[in-house]
Amino acid sequence: MSASDFKDGLIKEIPNLRAFAASLSGSMQLADDLVQDTLLKAWGNSDKFEPGTSLRAWLFTILRNTYYSLYRKRGREVQDSEGTYAERIAVHGNQESHLDLADFRKALAKLPEEQREVLIMVGATGLSYEEAAEICGVAIGTIKSRVNRARTKLAELLSIGGLDDLGPDRQSAAAVQRTGAEIVRL
Amino acid sequence: MSNADLGMTEPDRGDEQEPVLDPKVQESIGRSLKAHYDDLVSAPIPDKFLVLLAQLEAQEQRASAGGTSDERL
Repeated sequence: MSASDFKDGLIKEIPNLRAFAASLSGSMQLADDLVQDTLLKAWGNSDKFEPGTSLRAWLFTILRNTYYSLYRKRGREVQDSEGTYAERIAVHGNQESHLDLADFRKALAKLPEEQREVLIMVGATGLSYEEAAEICGVAIGTIKSRVNRARTKLAELLSIGGLDDLGPDRQSAAAVQRTGAEIVRL
Repeated sequence: MSNADLGMTEPDRGDEQEPVLDPKVQESIGRSLKAHYDDLVSAPIPDKFLVLLAQLEAQEQRASAGGTSDERL
C-alpha cells in the first residue's frame, strides 16, 4: 500500500473516527483532539497495519486506547461548554417512529463507557461483534452481554417499556425548540 | 497497536442471565442509535485534518526522495 493510498484510507475514516470519538468522550472538541492523535499514531505505525484487514477496526483500536490512556480524565474535567456536539441535533422529517435525538443522547451519555462504546460500535458503525471484541480485547460473549445491558439500561432511562412511548415523531417539534440550556453532553 | 483492555476493571459477566427486550423496543433503540451516529458522521471533515495528512505525506515524500522507495507497508 502506498503512502497515498494509506492517506486516502485515513481520510475516508475521519467521519467515523469523529463520530466514535464524540460518542466516547462527549465532546466534539475532545473528539477532534482525539482524532488528530489517532491520525498521527496511525501514520507513524502504518507498517503495522495489515492490508486486507479492516482499517476502521484498526483505527478504532488506536483511538480507543488513546482515549483510555490519555483523554478519559480530561473528558470528565473539561465539559463541553461549547455545545458544538449538541448543536448538531438533527431534525428528522420522516414519519417513522423514533425517539427524540436529544433525549436519546442524554440517556446514551448516562451509560457506563464500556457499554456505550460497544453499543456504538455494533449498533452504528458497521463493525461486527467479532471486531468489537478484538478492539476491546474481550470475548465476543462479553460484547453481546454489554450490548444487551446497554439496551436494557437505555430502555429504562428512556422509559420505553411500553409501546405507547414509540409514537411517530411526537417529540420532534419540541426538539426543534430546544435551546442551549438543554444541550446534551454525551 | 495493542488490544489491551485499558481501563476496564469490572469483571466480565459474559454468561449471566439477562432480560430480553421487546423486539420493538430494540428496534427503536437501534434506529435512534443510527440517527445519533449518522448525524455526527455527516458533519464535514475539518480542513485541519486534511492539512495534517498532506503535511505528513509531503514529509514522507521528501524523506523518500533522499534515497528510499516510496512504497510502504
